[in-house]
Amino acid sequence: MASLTTGLEKSQSEGKGVRKFSRGSRTGNQSLVYIILIIGAVLALVPFFWMISTSLMSLGETINRKWLPAVPQVANYIQAWNEAKFARYFWNSVIITSVTLIGLLTTSILAGYAFGRINFKGRNAIFAILLSTMMIPETITWLPNLMLVRGTIIPLPGGSWLNSLQALAVPFMANAFSIFLLNQFFAQIPHELWDAAQIDGANHFRFLTQICLPISKAPIMTVLLFGFIGSWNAFAWPLLVTTRETWRPLMVGLWTFVSEAGPETHLLMAGAVITLIPILVIYFLTQKQFTQGIATTGLKG
Amino acid sequence: MASTTNVIPITKKRKVYSLRALQENLTGYAFVAPAVIIILVFGLFPIIYSLYMSLFNWRIRKGDFTGLVNYTKIFGDWGGFAIFIGGLALLGTAYWLWTGAFKSNSNLARKLQIGAAVVLIVAGIIMSMGWGKMVAAGDEDFLNSLIITIFYAVGTVPLQLGIGMIFAYLLYQKIRGKEVFRMIYFLPYVTPVVTTAVVFRTIFSSRETSLANIVLSWFNAGPLKWLFEPKAMSEVFLGLKLEGIAAGPSLALGTIILFGIWSFFGYNTVIFLAGLGGIPKELYEAAEIDGANGWNAFKNVTIPLLSPVSFYLFLVSFIGTFKAFNHLYVMATPNAQNTVVTASVQIFDVFYAQNNFGYAAAQSIVLFLIILGLTVAQNKILGERVFYG
Repeated sequence: MASLTTGLEKSQSEGKGVRKFSRGSRTGNQSLVYIILIIGAVLALVPFFWMISTSLMSLGETINRKWLPAVPQVANYIQAWNEAKFARYFWNSVIITSVTLIGLLTTSILAGYAFGRINFKGRNAIFAILLSTMMIPETITWLPNLMLVRGTIIPLPGGSWLNSLQALAVPFMANAFSIFLLNQFFAQIPHELWDAAQIDGANHFRFLTQICLPISKAPIMTVLLFGFIGSWNAFAWPLLVTTRETWRPLMVGLWTFVSEAGPETHLLMAGAVITLIPILVIYFLTQKQFTQGIATTGLKG
Repeated sequence: MASTTNVIPITKKRKVYSLRALQENLTGYAFVAPAVIIILVFGLFPIIYSLYMSLFNWRIRKGDFTGLVNYTKIFGDWGGFAIFIGGLALLGTAYWLWTGAFKSNSNLARKLQIGAAVVLIVAGIIMSMGWGKMVAAGDEDFLNSLIITIFYAVGTVPLQLGIGMIFAYLLYQKIRGKEVFRMIYFLPYVTPVVTTAVVFRTIFSSRETSLANIVLSWFNAGPLKWLFEPKAMSEVFLGLKLEGIAAGPSLALGTIILFGIWSFFGYNTVIFLAGLGGIPKELYEAAEIDGANGWNAFKNVTIPLLSPVSFYLFLVSFIGTFKAFNHLYVMATPNAQNTVVTASVQIFDVFYAQNNFGYAAAQSIVLFLIILGLTVAQNKILGERVFYG
């Protein structure tokens, strides 16, 4: 996929794009291009507009179907946040995601380094097995993992892990994709650096933490970004392991609210907006890295 | 004397070396251990355990060993299954003949292409025969869910790719606000599917005042039930009364397909945009000298040179639809009945709502084998293809 990255960079940096054809109808063509692009943008944005607009309406306005609320009802958000317990779900999601990311980063940095720079027996075989797990559909893992987490296959410390932080976080604390990404980066670091570090008496751990990590900000950011999206958007697995509200994350909370809200669409939409905010903030802040990360990896989330 | 003095340092060195090798090995294992353990336990072990569970009559608690009974329940008729697999093998043969046609001279190529077409038709007939036998005796719900999955894949993948390619091409022109457009197109893909699926549930609800029905009213069309409509689109729009698979996807599934296109076209736009950056400018200049206009250049330069990217995206997206769950689950309303239940949703239902663990395990093994087959085919096909870059 290396060619794709350079392709994206080219398509951005040159900015010239394809030269225009058929000069006679230049302005005509040009405006047609803009019209199509704008129609596309409107279609992409309408659901978001609808969601935000509805979230600020009163119940009457959602039933009589106005396009915009007469007076924006910010109180809807307060109601969703407090009464519909979105506050609880939100902080649950924040904690679950943070814990998952810390775990994910630790395991994938260590493993990525080892696969890229340490010569141990069976390295390639283990790496190949890990990579093969990328094609496994989530569907097949739910049932056995649910039983594992309930403690029915092997007894777990503390009995059942249902409705616990560890059940929500631990399964996502490692994945082959992150290891692969970091492995590729670490393997490129010149060997001379390692030789010099060894002369200074450094071992692998010190070399990793003091030399490799400071220069690996870009791939680490990519791992964090994808890890964040994966964890924040997770739905099926949290749905299975949270029978109570104690650790229920946002996505599951929103889903259970679909049946609870009934006709109160304005509250449902306010809840929906709350689930989006952190993702949108991160997307707008890291826009370039975001799109480039996807083009490099060709990853489908 | 000289030889003995030489021997000592070598053995010493070897000893030091092996100690260091041991240390390297141990460090390596220690470093990979946390990741490997988590991935083995939560990623690989489930496959083995599903295989094990699928051989039992397992409802919450493990029951009797039943061998292949769960699989027989799925396929119903093993003879029909064998016929279906035979048809699938013929399909592979047709592909083999087709690719062979491109490698040989024009005379033979013609014959091979005709041969491939004939084999393709025969394969189709045999597969549908086998499928008919399976559906008659097997688990209609699960087999039907596979058809629904294919409907969804066929409905969403080509369109999302086509739209993605067009927008990528337009964005690649000399236009203003390129970054803004790209950011907007990518937004539906970035936002959590559960959230956007919930929003689509209200936009495409059966209420007369839902956004979709308001838009219909602009064109003086009556309201539709959208996600809550189990009737086939061929019946709703064309008034045709067809039965079973022939009727095609329901309007509810059609709405989910619309969501799929909306959600994923931006992803394809970004990948295509990257692919466009790799096409040499000289080709467009040459096309211009030859008098090609914008459309001709798009047809004769862009599409052929993007074909490796399109092919990659097609296969990845197609496999992705077999793995997809979240939005399909959220948008599957009870009113739409089983016309929107894809394989992954069906499996979830069998163990989560019906508590039939052994049977769900067998179903998930079947789905896993289908995805495995598709992935192997993908790697083979992509491996054979030439990439222009």
